[in-house]
Amino acid sequence: MYVRWLIPIGAGAAGVAQIAHATQYLTVEQAQRAAFPDATAFDSVRANVDPAAVGAAAGWSPRIWQARKGDKTLGWFFADAVIGKSELINYSLALDGQGAVIALEVLEYREAHGGEVRLAPWRKQFVGKTSHDPVALNQDIKNISGATLSCRHLTEGVQRLLKLREHALITQPVS
Amino acid sequence: MRRFRIHTVALAVALAPSAHADEAALKAELDALRAQVAELQAQMKQLRAAPTNVPPAAQPEAVANVAAASAAAPAPAAASATTLWGYGEMNYNHPTARAADAQADLRRAVIGFSHAFDEATHVYGELEWEHAVASADDAGETEVEQLYVEHALAPQYGVRAGLMLVPLGLLNEHHEPTQYYGVERNFVETAIIPSTWREGGVAMYGSTDSGLGWNAGIGTGPDLGKWDPAAGEGRASPLGSIHQELQLARARDPALFAALNWAGIPGLGVGGGVFAGKIGQGADFAGKDARLLLGEVHARWQTGPFDLSALYARGTISDTQALNLTFLGQPTPVPKAFWGGFAQGAWRALDWNESSLAPFVRYEQFNTGAAYAAQTLGPGTSALPTEKVWTAGINYYLNPSVVFKFDYQDFNRDDAALGYGDRFNLGIGYQF
Repeated sequence: MYVRWLIPIGAGAAGVAQIAHATQYLTVEQAQRAAFPDATAFDSVRANVDPAAVGAAAGWSPRIWQARKGDKTLGWFFADAVIGKSELINYSLALDGQGAVIALEVLEYREAHGGEVRLAPWRKQFVGKTSHDPVALNQDIKNISGATLSCRHLTEGVQRLLKLREHALITQPVS
Repeated sequence: MRRFRIHTVALAVALAPSAHADEAALKAELDALRAQVAELQAQMKQLRAAPTNVPPAAQPEAVANVAAASAAAPAPAAASATTLWGYGEMNYNHPTARAADAQADLRRAVIGFSHAFDEATHVYGELEWEHAVASADDAGETEVEQLYVEHALAPQYGVRAGLMLVPLGLLNEHHEPTQYYGVERNFVETAIIPSTWREGGVAMYGSTDSGLGWNAGIGTGPDLGKWDPAAGEGRASPLGSIHQELQLARARDPALFAALNWAGIPGLGVGGGVFAGKIGQGADFAGKDARLLLGEVHARWQTGPFDLSALYARGTISDTQALNLTFLGQPTPVPKAFWGGFAQGAWRALDWNESSLAPFVRYEQFNTGAAYAAQTLGPGTSALPTEKVWTAGINYYLNPSVVFKFDYQDFNRDDAALGYGDRFNLGIGYQF
């Protein structure tokens, strides 16, 4: 009688197997426009900073853009990656001209475990944080039970980018 | 692809006039076209590498302390397709009333791996050694704790097949020593939910944007034919004594399992799960019609320095009356019902650099023989008394991946055969 259970499960699995399986949730461009809808330009810039100064591994080089509206700097946009449990999580962070978080987006996520970091309520915890906040798991950022490693590594990634902005980009005059 | 198209166009353009030109003119023309193609390719390369601008585009300006990049910075390096991880724990238990039973044990050493065949398809495995030495003369075990292939059908759901952890409770799927308080795993999730509990089968999993995660599947189940009425193992953990761990598992009767977890509010996790199936496995014996139903609900709330959790699990096994009749006079009949629950509070009292100190207290009640099927002859088996255990101690995290543990456990009822009795415990655990 249990064989009857197998038939619909098998048929269902075969059916959904035909659906494409993109793991990308947002492109960099989509995330940029969502964070800075008024921007007229995103200028790619490179920060002169020693990775060790912000607690990053050697060779760490997040992509950075300066969001502008005409001559006015609206803020900064970063695209970086961290390891979740065993796979890369690509994410983006948008900061306003004062260095406060506008949005954290998960761009690509590759493993089933820990995928809860994609949830909007969890990511919203970062909004408004600056380099003067702890931005530490279980302190000002709440954990998701069962997704601890992804939560911790993503939180550490945001902390690094906030420090990077503080160390390397803060002298940029904001008009 | 685009490059291929340019070559094709160039070739077509080059060939068309060639029929009417002499060889030298043709060669010159080809050279000119080659140069044009090379120039186009270089331009395309520049275009691809250029910063993404929202029109109207403006050129990047050199700014103080920030170098305008001539090309986009390199993308983050890709992770290797194969990754390794691991965890381990070493424990020391010291019963206060039976010091001679004090024991130190390399409880487990685990190597885990994953390999990405492509973006959507992975294999995950965990290889485990328990009690340091495994051989014909030793008590240790070597086991494959998990081994399954996972395929994401869409970003929000996928399918797994192989030897998988049963998605019940707080601990079973997250059993690394850094993930729980206390040297030993809680009793409810060892005696009632037999962590680390795994079965072979197929499951589908997924999550919604509202934070609801689900996992449902079909697979092997326990084998009641393995029940040993002469041993105490069935009293320590009814399901732990008859689970099969995909070791030549008798698989006549598939079991079904399903779990729901909600993580829509950061810090809060609530969920539950069920596991159900026949466990006679088609064998011709008195327990052939027995059915297992195990359900659990759990909640965990992590807020600021506090970490609060609670879990309740209850299991039933039907049609055990005839089987227990054959076990008459033996110490361990099959229970009709077993249950357990705990509440736990932890407080991260100190936090410095990467280290933290978290005292905790846990209270649990559990009963592995809460009821037995009535017998037609004699008084039948009376229920076991409920065990109640207080555990208080400290998890000292040297960093989030290395933990030193100390705790004291107070049992309301001693049972030397099952290792129940007041004791203190020391432990070291790590995870990478």
